[in-house]
Amino acid sequence: MEERRYRSASGASIALRRRQHSASCRELAVRCPRLRLRSLSAATSAAWLAAYGLFALTENSMVLSAAIIVTLIGLIVYLHFMKIDQELLLVIGSLGIQVTSVYASGKESTTFIEMSQVKDVVINEAIHMQKVIYYLCILLQDPGDPQGVSEVVPLFQSSKPRLDCLIEVYKSCQEILEQRKTAPQSSGIK
Amino acid sequence: MASGVLAGRSHSVCMVSDFFYPNMGGVESHVYQLSQCLIERGHKVLVVTHAYGCRKGVRYLTNGLKVYYLPLKVMYNQSTATTLFHSLPLLRYIFVRERVTVVHAHSSFSAMAHDALFHAKTMGLRTVFTDHSLFGFADVSSVLTNKLLTVSLCDTNHIICVSYTSKENTVLRAALDPRIVSVIPNAVDPTDFTPDPSRRDDSTVTIVVVSRLVYRKGIDLLSGIIPELCQKYPELHFLIGGEGPKRIVLEEVRERYQLHDRVRLLGALEHQDVRNVLVQGHIFLNTSLTEAFCMAIVEAASCGLQVVSTRVGGIPEVLPESLIILCEPSVKSLCHGLEKAIAQLRSGTLPSPETVHNKVKTFYTWRNVAERTEKVYDRVADEVVLPMDERLDRLMSHCGPVTGCIFALFAVLNFLFLTFLRWMTPDYIIDVAIDATGPKSAWTKQYFLGKKGRVKEQPPSSKNAQMERKEHISC
Repeated sequence: MEERRYRSASGASIALRRRQHSASCRELAVRCPRLRLRSLSAATSAAWLAAYGLFALTENSMVLSAAIIVTLIGLIVYLHFMKIDQELLLVIGSLGIQVTSVYASGKESTTFIEMSQVKDVVINEAIHMQKVIYYLCILLQDPGDPQGVSEVVPLFQSSKPRLDCLIEVYKSCQEILEQRKTAPQSSGIK
Repeated sequence: MASGVLAGRSHSVCMVSDFFYPNMGGVESHVYQLSQCLIERGHKVLVVTHAYGCRKGVRYLTNGLKVYYLPLKVMYNQSTATTLFHSLPLLRYIFVRERVTVVHAHSSFSAMAHDALFHAKTMGLRTVFTDHSLFGFADVSSVLTNKLLTVSLCDTNHIICVSYTSKENTVLRAALDPRIVSVIPNAVDPTDFTPDPSRRDDSTVTIVVVSRLVYRKGIDLLSGIIPELCQKYPELHFLIGGEGPKRIVLEEVRERYQLHDRVRLLGALEHQDVRNVLVQGHIFLNTSLTEAFCMAIVEAASCGLQVVSTRVGGIPEVLPESLIILCEPSVKSLCHGLEKAIAQLRSGTLPSPETVHNKVKTFYTWRNVAERTEKVYDRVADEVVLPMDERLDRLMSHCGPVTGCIFALFAVLNFLFLTFLRWMTPDYIIDVAIDATGPKSAWTKQYFLGKKGRVKEQPPSSKNAQMERKEHISC
């Protein structure tokens, strides 16, 4: 297991952890910076100050209680549905690729792609917001057409690592994908 | 071929224009061909244009020519809307990640090209502008565009025009110093336009016209010529390719004089069909009323046709007198010119299509255009980009008191915006794009894999193809 630090496309510091379970099984995790107390308290106090200003104008105490409820619900929604702490990529050569996002609240959402569906893992460029960034994606095999790609699954969507980090992940994935490709061929032909 | 000419400096050029493939036209093919030849000469070239329908994002064309289709709103006639500011974040990101040294904008109709020039100057990059069209001076729209052109070009490093007439026009319109304006004509791909005398019917005389059927191309003159000549020469046929609002005029003429069997209107032509139409004729007629540099007559001459054209704009510069008959833009003069051509054809004094083709093919080649453009880049690379204070001075002294001050203010705002963006995402945060240009690009090299595996086995284009395919799905 090794951990290295990289930067994301927006400049935030992220960590890539690689864990080798066996020759054909590898886990790659990109950890985003945690929610900082500073930004949390800044957002909360901004909302509450605004509410207090409104209260001073209207003299209605409902505003204050509403503000408290709104911030609490907002925080829960943010932690539970938006803030992703960790993105995991588990590549098992004989089985498939599992993509997991761990939210700040601890909620996990997992998708699994069977190896027979995976055509390739590539790095691509895209225009994202006001940026042009590199991203890693899984190309899914089109069942009807052996050359075709039916769908593209982008990886690390919330952490958006920079190219140097992506190349590391790409190499790791390719090493395993390659085993998959060479293994049946060599046994089949020879 | 590439290694032989690599002696000079290598530039990283960013071509910016609203007009690029899949849109078809002169500017589009100019940008593409010029880029390909510059790549061949060892430069790094990328093209930035706006998104066409679902074609957006990053694409790769032949030889790793990278094209950015930016998601900007199209306003009118495939030209994007301009606010002077909204395209800065994306263009700045591209200029930084591709390490662009020269920004080359095309066509004065393209708002994006002017935006890119404006931003590039703010960022301190060298700028080159190619003007592809002629403008008037009198009507309101040209007064406005001329003013904008003055603002846009007054601090541009170098301007390229396609003919001397176009240079004169641009210098006058934009009040430029003629020393920073170069003339580099367009080119045709001679292998696309080869003669084929077997395709034409020598028992008749066929006059070919290929142009958009609009006022500017002199279709009204054509409608006067057709009945006059058809009465005089019973074996004369007209073959007219192109589409436009003036088609109705030609149809009326055909109706009135009962010329259905002798005047054929082919409608809109694909670029690859033009040659097949041209080789069916003996004489090519161009009736344009204004033209910066007429590609059509070079293409026709390359197919071995005798060219008859109006003497307007840059046309007299295009072909030597032996290959072209120039007339005044009037029905009488054009009829006279055509009669002369028909007489020559009958007496057999015209040179054979093959000799004409071999002569024309040496005139305008893209390699030559690229070589000359490269010289412009070399020259520009030695120049200094105006610092901010001098740029403001230039704007205010050059563009009139009101416009000058307004645009000087815009320039300052643009600079502040850029400073803000540099603070938000500093340059070192931006990944340097992998250079995919040219035969020695990253796609053919062992870039991603340290090991001997996959990349070598794949043909160099497969990675691009994968990306290309991927984008088809996403849109």
